[in-house]
Amino acid sequence: MQSLYYFILVPMVYIAFGIFVVGTIIRLIKIFKEPKHPSTLQIYPEKKTKWLGALYDTFLFPTVRKHKPVLWVFLLLFHMGLILLLIGHLELIWDLGIFQIIPHEPFLGKGLVGLVLTISLLFFLFRRFLSPVKELSVPEDYYLLILLFLIVLFGSQMDWARRWYEYGELAVEDYRAYLTSLIVFKPELPYNATFSGHSFMLILHVFFANIFLMFFPFSQSMHSFLSLPINKLRRG
Amino acid sequence: MDQETRNELLKLFKSKLNEAMRLYLETCTRCGVCTEACHVYASTGQVKHIAAYRAEIIRRLYKKYFKMRGKIWPSVGESKELTDIALEDLSEAAYSCTGCRRCMVYCPFGIDTQMLMSIAKLLLIGANAEPEILTMLADMSIEKGKSIELFKEGFQNGIKNLENEVVKKWKAEAGDTVIPVDVEGADLLYVALAGAHSIIPAAAIFNAAGENWALSFFEAVNFGAFVGDPAKTKLILERIINEALRLKVKEVCICECGTAFRVMKQISGSQPFKVTSITEVHNRYLREGRIKIDKSKFNEAITYHDPCQIARNAGVMDEPRYILKHLTDDFREMSPDPKYNWCCGGGGGLVALGEETLDFRMKSSQVKVDQVQKTGAKILATACENCHTQLSNLNDHYKMDVDVKFLSSMLADALVAN
Repeated sequence: MQSLYYFILVPMVYIAFGIFVVGTIIRLIKIFKEPKHPSTLQIYPEKKTKWLGALYDTFLFPTVRKHKPVLWVFLLLFHMGLILLLIGHLELIWDLGIFQIIPHEPFLGKGLVGLVLTISLLFFLFRRFLSPVKELSVPEDYYLLILLFLIVLFGSQMDWARRWYEYGELAVEDYRAYLTSLIVFKPELPYNATFSGHSFMLILHVFFANIFLMFFPFSQSMHSFLSLPINKLRRG
Repeated sequence: MDQETRNELLKLFKSKLNEAMRLYLETCTRCGVCTEACHVYASTGQVKHIAAYRAEIIRRLYKKYFKMRGKIWPSVGESKELTDIALEDLSEAAYSCTGCRRCMVYCPFGIDTQMLMSIAKLLLIGANAEPEILTMLADMSIEKGKSIELFKEGFQNGIKNLENEVVKKWKAEAGDTVIPVDVEGADLLYVALAGAHSIIPAAAIFNAAGENWALSFFEAVNFGAFVGDPAKTKLILERIINEALRLKVKEVCICECGTAFRVMKQISGSQPFKVTSITEVHNRYLREGRIKIDKSKFNEAITYHDPCQIARNAGVMDEPRYILKHLTDDFREMSPDPKYNWCCGGGGGLVALGEETLDFRMKSSQVKVDQVQKTGAKILATACENCHTQLSNLNDHYKMDVDVKFLSSMLADALVAN
């Protein structure tokens, strides 16, 4: 069993990151090496601030706000939450002073960010069971949401346990030791990572995250990179 | 479908894959925000008419043949094989989409359904499954471009017969040509449709404004664009470009035809002349005081239908409103924002297909009818031939009791001496 844990927490993480990085780069090259469309594809009326407009469309989804306000609230919470969680993971590795304007332990939001994300993902998932989004969806859309739900749930559980139930066996130092060792390519698993009561949370969190990363470049998740250039086309 | 045909069709598919198309094919999250954007869905409630659903029909083929996962794990994106049945799906998707691009205003990414449908249309041409009449019409236009000398005399005689009608609207100065044709050094080349209604009012207004103009030998409409054939679209376009270059005009003015205007303006590339719509030119004449209008000519409330290819897709929105301000004090907007205007339901070649699509066009445009009726206006003005035909059909079918008019002909009827 320990060797399976080791595989998930070490070699599989490297494989997943490798596929994610190389896959994403190849996919992006494939798209952007194609010739440009010969004529404009914009929607009028035209505004002068094209890049600013495209950034606005990309990060604040104004069209969703206008037409599906409830979905918009969850989308915004979800995407902002994702950014906060990404920052949180970086804070597990390094002390990032810039984010300590509001003093906090790694992961802003006292566990609430994970909770909001979990609820948002359930909202997105249940939405897909209803017509007409049901008819539009393909299996990929469900797989991705279920994967993200599992990642966020197990990840948050570790955070919640520490903060809400004063569970202390797996501490920030353990995560930091583990992640830092991965980054310097001298992988090392702290005892608590695989032998504490909550190890399986970490292992499942990392396992599903690995799967997600490997699937990312080939899935609609690529919209994270493509949203800005595609929105720019509409702005002209 | 045999493998050889499939390979040929996939070659055509590949030829459409530029950067923008790849972005449109890769990015959709199937969030469903576009659901209410399509007038066909809004009128019929059929899921197959949601933009994302239409797009997915193309995307499934793309995933199968142009993405690795279509081979490794086809079920994850429901990749689909290109078969005869798939062609039927493509045909239904492409020829129930009017290319109005209203869904593009809703999509959080701005995915262009018209672009995606252009893949479907090209595959249908490759499989000889496109609406034949559109190809025939496109071929006739191209043929005319090749042998203009054969058509010239007949055309000029036809034009002569229209002159009296033009003079009735605006009396020409003695010695002036009422409808000038083939004038080298003209400032403006007017490209009309093959129909007196497209020439007479326009000629009267050009003459009233004292424009140094000439009528093109060719009709503006581009059937190549309707049928989605890039090569034919270009050939049809080039006839006009060559004529404009030969006559050394400064401006090519396209009549009230949405597709012709957008194709000419956006696809003709960098040329020594500018491309304008006739609505823009009329707006200019009014602003410069080159023509005068009698506001009392139309006494009923007027509403204006923004043709998708002229307004949302080419930016002519303020100009018709400026003209209408000179025609009435009772102008009523249909939509608070022109970019959200419902399509008339006749674009993308559907009107050109005539009776064949009439039933569908009527059923799919209920929302347009409701929108017009809500204004309470009695005159429904527009600036596109297709829209005019479709709106007239809707008027008859739904007994809307409005008078569907071309903006240019209203302007010509209201001309008064300066």
